[in-house]
Amino acid sequence: MGGPLRFLLSNEFGLIVLVLLFGILFSTLSPAFLSKFSLYALGRTSAVNIMIGFSMMVVIITGGLNLSVGAIGVGAAMFGGWLMQAFGMPWVPGVIGGLAMGAALGALNGVIIVRSGLHSFIITLATMSIFFGVMIYLTRAESYREISPAFTSYGRMKILGVISPLLLVTFAVAIMLSVLFRFTALGREMLVAGANARAAEISGIRVNRMITYCHMLSGILAGVAGLMLVSRTGAAIPSMAGQLGQDWLLPAFLGPVLGGTLLTGGRLSVLGTLLGSFLVTMLTTGLLLMQVGAFWIQTYLGLLLLAAVLIDLARRSYLERRKLL
Amino acid sequence: MTEIFNAQGILKTFPGVKALEDVSVSLTRGSIHALLGENGAGKSTLIKVMTGVYRPDGGTMMLDGAEYEPQNTHDAIVKGIGVVHQERNLIPRFSIAENIFLEHLADQPLRRIDYPKLFQDAQRWLDLLEIDADPATPVDRLSVAKMQLVEIAKALSLNSKILMLDEPTASLTPHETDTLFGILRRLRDDGASLVFVSHKLEEVQEICDSVTVLRDGQNACESRRLDELGRQDIVRLMIGRSEMIPDWVARDRAEGQPVLELSNVSTKLGHKAVDLKVHKGEIVGLYGLVGAGRSELAKAVLGKFEITDGEVLVNGISAKINSVADAVGRYRIGYVSEDRKSEGLVLIHSVLENVGIPIWRRLSQFGGFLTNGTVRKHTVPFIQKLEVRTPSLEQQVGNLSGGNQQKISVAKWLAAEAQVLIIDEPSVGIDIKTKAYLHELIRELSDTGTAILLITSDMPEMIALADRIVVMNEYAVMGGFNNTRDYTEMSEGIMGLIQGDETAAA
Ligand SMILES: Nc1ncnc2c1ncn2[C@@H]1O[C@H](COP(=O)(O)OP(=O)(O)OP(=O)(O)O)[C@@H](O)[C@H]1O
Ligand SMILES: [Mg+2]
Repeated sequence: MGGPLRFLLSNEFGLIVLVLLFGILFSTLSPAFLSKFSLYALGRTSAVNIMIGFSMMVVIITGGLNLSVGAIGVGAAMFGGWLMQAFGMPWVPGVIGGLAMGAALGALNGVIIVRSGLHSFIITLATMSIFFGVMIYLTRAESYREISPAFTSYGRMKILGVISPLLLVTFAVAIMLSVLFRFTALGREMLVAGANARAAEISGIRVNRMITYCHMLSGILAGVAGLMLVSRTGAAIPSMAGQLGQDWLLPAFLGPVLGGTLLTGGRLSVLGTLLGSFLVTMLTTGLLLMQVGAFWIQTYLGLLLLAAVLIDLARRSYLERRKLL
Repeated sequence: MTEIFNAQGILKTFPGVKALEDVSVSLTRGSIHALLGENGAGKSTLIKVMTGVYRPDGGTMMLDGAEYEPQNTHDAIVKGIGVVHQERNLIPRFSIAENIFLEHLADQPLRRIDYPKLFQDAQRWLDLLEIDADPATPVDRLSVAKMQLVEIAKALSLNSKILMLDEPTASLTPHETDTLFGILRRLRDDGASLVFVSHKLEEVQEICDSVTVLRDGQNACESRRLDELGRQDIVRLMIGRSEMIPDWVARDRAEGQPVLELSNVSTKLGHKAVDLKVHKGEIVGLYGLVGAGRSELAKAVLGKFEITDGEVLVNGISAKINSVADAVGRYRIGYVSEDRKSEGLVLIHSVLENVGIPIWRRLSQFGGFLTNGTVRKHTVPFIQKLEVRTPSLEQQVGNLSGGNQQKISVAKWLAAEAQVLIIDEPSVGIDIKTKAYLHELIRELSDTGTAILLITSDMPEMIALADRIVVMNEYAVMGGFNNTRDYTEMSEGIMGLIQGDETAAA
């Protein structure tokens, strides 16, 4: 079967269609949707949400999950903020420090998971509370507001009046992830370890190490998302992802799941996660513009998740019947 | 003999593959019917169509004179068609007994399960099939052969009118096969109709009455009496030409420094003071009955099981192997697993992604970057030589026929350029034509200097390939001798050693 046809039948294409459909819907219902400011805000928020989706995606490929994405993201952001405020560090070392903290917390998750042999659900549920609790204790729940101006002005910049530079960061990361999982031995080994750990081990892959790497990468990406928020708001705030970082969980799962990342592990789609997270952000923004109450937005998002999964099921069985899959 | 089942003009396609095209078959009561064909010919697909796994895209089926259109697998069972699929379908953490009676248990979902009775009933099947295991054992603790036997017990317990067995003997030893055949003959004499798939033609000729051969998804012959056909006739129907039997000579390469040496190795699993040497370019056959501890020994060498005493030497130097990654990465020891489904392959990944796994690291450049082009260059020759039947290299391995999956599982390591290759039951489920190519590849590999340890329960394969044969029994090496390629002499020698007859050890 030809490549173009296969793409038309793919999950990613389905998402593109949905994005266009809702785009048209929102812009006809609310003209403000296409205003420069609204588009700018949409891009800025998507940039962060996509990053959060990536952070979860790289753990889902191990067949596990990471409930502590939010806690790690905030922890990394607070650490970066502290470095900049307490030592007056310029933003580059501050960001590197923050990402290192994300990597360390993620790696800690990974090490505990492979050493204990317990499911990542339990471990990251626990570390979510621990990381967040320790962070609150150390920061006394105070924000760091003396952030390097170069860094915060980046988050507020507008390219051509509508594009948030944060989107560029997200695209760069998306490309790096695609390259990692498609064109490097390391990324492929991570996928094999996630798909069939026994076969991976017999093939000489260090499965535990790969799983730890996945969690470490998840921590780094969560850190990137946290620091993006710092750059955007101009401060590192302990509550920026809600209590225990829980506000991140829905976007974290929605992106990868809508995007076709296999929950049992071993298969991902970077483009799918990107589109999935974008769709979710767009829906939220659109519904907010239409002044739908915040409570309803959560409900709609939940319904969207359910609908997406059901539609995907229908698409698959249709393809199977038409013998296209 | 009366007809019980009949299929006409069956059609089934998958994306890019015509698996069955106008296939017909007819079964009679009280007979064993062979279903033969090369890997990917469509045998399993036909069986799945008959048992309600797949809906055919065309054709009709009649069962007992009535139209038969199974809606699902349960439907087929209710109508009297039982099946042992080629791929294992046991539920991992459930006990043997629960697995055997799964269908019965599912029938009455709310009734309390009488476990003592369940175990007792299961024990009867275990006794019948001579499976030495407690019915309460979780099935994932069993060896591949025992799992296969449990799968058979599960199908037998349904007392079906028609029983289909898709390569039931692929991972059984001759003795277990004999036991099974005794049971099958009794079922036949009681009037059941059996369908038997196997790539071992000796078995087919021993037990079957009639035969249908498929080639490229079409009938090469339909329900012919087997006693009219000789082995060469069947082979010609299957592969379109006669069999090629290479006349290699065994070579004496047991000289110089062994590449792999086990010196006095004991393991936690019970291996006792095992000594074994494999030299450069040598193929050493490790023979033993199931349960002799051969695969476990291989995995101990690989670092998966702990060695408690003695040592493993690679090129004369004591090897420190703490994990399989050490064995593969540092000492270039490869292992083709006997269990392709759980240890050999990643079923949800593509052919190309599977076959390159062991060489990714070596082929990557500029700090870990890898292109499919380089992977292709190193693996495609093996995929072609083994005639893997797949619509493309991007096809998911799980969608290939069983035999073609096996070829990928082996090709992956043939391409890996290991210095020591341990090959465990390489030709399980591989058709006779490809088996000859596979043997050729293994010989060629040894000619390039690879030291090969071949574990196989297939005596003809052992005698065809090995330069030297070492016999193991109950976790100990009983002795060894050079292969003269004289079948009778070798098999007597092997059996002698297994029974502990010292004089056989020359
Ligand atoms: N689910 C599937 N999706 C796509 N292709 C399939 C699927 N199942 C089977 N095929 C293809 O159909 C063809 C027939 O496969 P089948 O499993 O029936 O072969 P077989 O005769 O049983 O071979 P073997 O001896 O290797 O078991 C093969 O080319 C296989 O790749
Ligand atoms: Mg088959």
